[in-house]
Amino acid sequence: MRVASLGILVNRLSGVFCARNGKPLIAFPENVKCYCKMEGLVLQNRPVIVAVGRTKFGEHYGKEPEKLIEEAWLAASNECGIERKDLEACYMSDCFLPITNKLGLEEGFLSELTELHVPMETTRSFSAALLTACHAIQAGVYDTVLVGGIEKMTDRWDKIRDDLMLLEDPWSYYAGGTPESNHELMLRAYIKAHHVTGENLDKLNIALAQVSVKNHANATKNKYAQYQRAITVQQVLNARKTAQKPLGMFDFAPISDGASALVLMSEAAAKKLCDSPVHVLACTSATDYLNYTAREDLSRFVAAEIAMKNAAQMAKTALSDIQVIEINDQSTVMELVSLEDLGFCKPGEAWKSIYESYLGNKHFYEVNGRQLYVNTDGGLKADGNPFGATGGAQIFEIYRQLKGQAGTRQVNVDGGLPKSGCVSEFEGFGTKAYVTILGERKD
Amino acid sequence: MSSEPIERRVSYLGDRLRASRCQCCGKEYFEVRDYCSNCGRKSYGKMDSIDLFYDKGKLELCTFVNEPTNKFMKLSNFVYGIVSFHDGKIRVPARLTDQLICDGKEVDLSNLEGREVVPRFRRRYSVSKSDVIPTISLAFTLADEYYPHQEYKVVAPTKEYDVPGVVGYGVYISRFRIKEAELERAVPFLDEDSVTASVEAGKMALVHSGVDSKLIGKVYVGSESNPYSVKPIAAKVAQVLKLGEEDGDVQGVDAVDTEFACKAATSMYKDACSLVSYPRSGIEYAMAIGADNAQAAPRGCPGGELDTFVGYGGAAFIFGKNDVIAQVEGWYSCTSDTPDFWRRDGEQFPSHGGRFTGDPAYFKHVRKATCKLMERFNLKASDLAYFVAHQPNPVFPVRMAKELGFKEEQYLPALQINKFGNTYSGCVPVGLASVLDVAKPEELILVGSYGSGAGSDAYLLRTTSQLIDKRKHQKVNVKFQAENPFIEYVDYTTYRRLKMGM
Repeated sequence: MRVASLGILVNRLSGVFCARNGKPLIAFPENVKCYCKMEGLVLQNRPVIVAVGRTKFGEHYGKEPEKLIEEAWLAASNECGIERKDLEACYMSDCFLPITNKLGLEEGFLSELTELHVPMETTRSFSAALLTACHAIQAGVYDTVLVGGIEKMTDRWDKIRDDLMLLEDPWSYYAGGTPESNHELMLRAYIKAHHVTGENLDKLNIALAQVSVKNHANATKNKYAQYQRAITVQQVLNARKTAQKPLGMFDFAPISDGASALVLMSEAAAKKLCDSPVHVLACTSATDYLNYTAREDLSRFVAAEIAMKNAAQMAKTALSDIQVIEINDQSTVMELVSLEDLGFCKPGEAWKSIYESYLGNKHFYEVNGRQLYVNTDGGLKADGNPFGATGGAQIFEIYRQLKGQAGTRQVNVDGGLPKSGCVSEFEGFGTKAYVTILGERKD
Repeated sequence: MSSEPIERRVSYLGDRLRASRCQCCGKEYFEVRDYCSNCGRKSYGKMDSIDLFYDKGKLELCTFVNEPTNKFMKLSNFVYGIVSFHDGKIRVPARLTDQLICDGKEVDLSNLEGREVVPRFRRRYSVSKSDVIPTISLAFTLADEYYPHQEYKVVAPTKEYDVPGVVGYGVYISRFRIKEAELERAVPFLDEDSVTASVEAGKMALVHSGVDSKLIGKVYVGSESNPYSVKPIAAKVAQVLKLGEEDGDVQGVDAVDTEFACKAATSMYKDACSLVSYPRSGIEYAMAIGADNAQAAPRGCPGGELDTFVGYGGAAFIFGKNDVIAQVEGWYSCTSDTPDFWRRDGEQFPSHGGRFTGDPAYFKHVRKATCKLMERFNLKASDLAYFVAHQPNPVFPVRMAKELGFKEEQYLPALQINKFGNTYSGCVPVGLASVLDVAKPEELILVGSYGSGAGSDAYLLRTTSQLIDKRKHQKVNVKFQAENPFIEYVDYTTYRRLKMGM
């Protein structure tokens, strides 16, 4: 494996430069290196998505987990005509099923469901499942695989917030941390790191509210979304006041039940099936310390930066070519910070773009003179966040946008469909970051 | 459900805030590390053990928690954040404790951020009654408030005495009080109990004495409110305070809990003195701690009369023959089987014999022990500078003192019942400490403890000139805690809630 030093990487990447002044948007801490074997990677077996499916997110009180994944898989299967017997392997993700539903060997119940005995593996997030599936397709092992995600969190509504702490350092739990507290601490770290004070601080707080308002507005056009209702900036601000905290109820994604699925094929095999599949141009991941307090920079997610840099390089895509993005907005802070970590905005400036969209009552952010559509499905905040299935819904949305199948929430760029989109997903509080870039094949 | 192995590991690291420092690059880590992640293999075996227990940190960032995870429900609301040590070399998650934040009360986070904090040994969170009680020192209080940061500096002894005595002492009283009429009483915070008070008192005694904790060969803890029927407080104290030589994760110290109602601790003073005087014991210093979250049924229930006087706190005394501040000249103990106050196993609150607790119990035994001791040393009340008696209520000790012929200036300095309440096993130790806080060299002090059931230990102490020298080591003395501007007063309902804990 070749180790690319920071300088070389930045020089090689057009995407991380500011479109206006040509200066790099992201500066890595000196000790952070990118490890990536991109050049010379023979992509004979390019992974493509031929169909996506999902359930509504929200509370599915009467449904067993297997009913949900069945629904998502059947929707995807219907869309492309791939039958269960065509599947050569399954990659499934769930984060808490062993805890919420006492299911420790999810592969077994998927086998029973499909009456298949093919290889199956489980990961914690949909992006992780997709990454593994992509590797298998690229390696030429399989041509047709199912990638599915599922979560049933409301079944343990009274204990789920304790369960969520499993994704964090045990010491934070022992000291009294909650699933929300790191987000609030990061907001305070962000405010300090970028010296946001006075009037600007008010604007930042409104910008964060706007993230939620925008996502809720988008969800009104998404029949699968958990909360299909619009909210106002004032409601978000009031909720913070009620909570007596920097962030309130409307700043956080809910807990949800739901499932999502997609059929991933090699490009060659997919040709027989459909004319215009969506290419997985890049799928990358990076890791950071479990212990948030021990991380060097508390105001951003280094793992997301690394994953994005590697993804942009792998996809040979400039960030300016990406028009639709799905961000893992577990909180409004995460959407704000991710815009910077992923390189779309300069560090400390994303809130300005968001604030502008609030002033103009827009559903997109204006960044470097172009429109950036973020979380068109409502994001985790309004679409819902059933952990293992969340990434699948994000991919689902980008797939629909790129194919022009997004209905009333369809994004048009310069009179046409968006060319490429990007999905960013986290496991834990920035501990694992995944970036997937979807779009048309470039060469 | 809990896991005992996890509990052992977490409290082993977390109670003392054990950390590591790489000899090669100086990088520091919370928790014990065998090698440095930065230096890799070459640092193996080159990691220094450090700990943050006596350190002070800085609250870097914080937020407010009013919807905690399930085990923290009883502790809510609280402030949670990140504390850094050693200029940011180590950062740990932190809960601010000793803060009563009612719903609706505004918390100014930016006023808290940047302030110095002190780690405190506390209960971690609530568990079921049959589980091991989890503890941790990732609880912090503001250093510029009730509990300042105090450095623990080991001082090499300069003088050896023939007669053993008190080498140092420490008193711990919580920040919260209930005030009814003229009587103020200490109230534990939700995460405090007799175990945490014992550790705090022991910590203060080490700070005051300057004795190296590894030279303490025995620790006694007397309490009647141990949250366990079986499991010694002393073992926790020994581990958290690193008493005795540390070998692996075991301390080379004898630790034992004692029980005799309110005299469980004072009874052991003579044993401690004897132990350090026995040439073959190999023990230079012994620590005796008396601490209680004094139990009482709520008012209106049987036994609820006690609820007017009970307090919370304790004191630790270190005995030895080096750098003695008060020599123990002699003692006399007496015992009889008198059922004046008791608590059956499994019962939550003690019962008492009403008016019989006075005359056939308290007065008879204290009178007997103190008179016998004065007789033996041929002393009159006027020969003594101070008299310290057990203080179950404000009346008994005064009546006893007067009967023995003591004047106000002799018995009032020890009278802390009006400030802290009856701290049961901690009562006489706290009284003695408050006298030592103000005494001059070469003064005689008479102590008359009392334990229901019943018995009394009388001690005669003679102060030395080193008493004055050591005073400067201890800022957090009795007066400091009695007259602290950051004391927070609570009403009866809150007092009961805090007292019953988590």
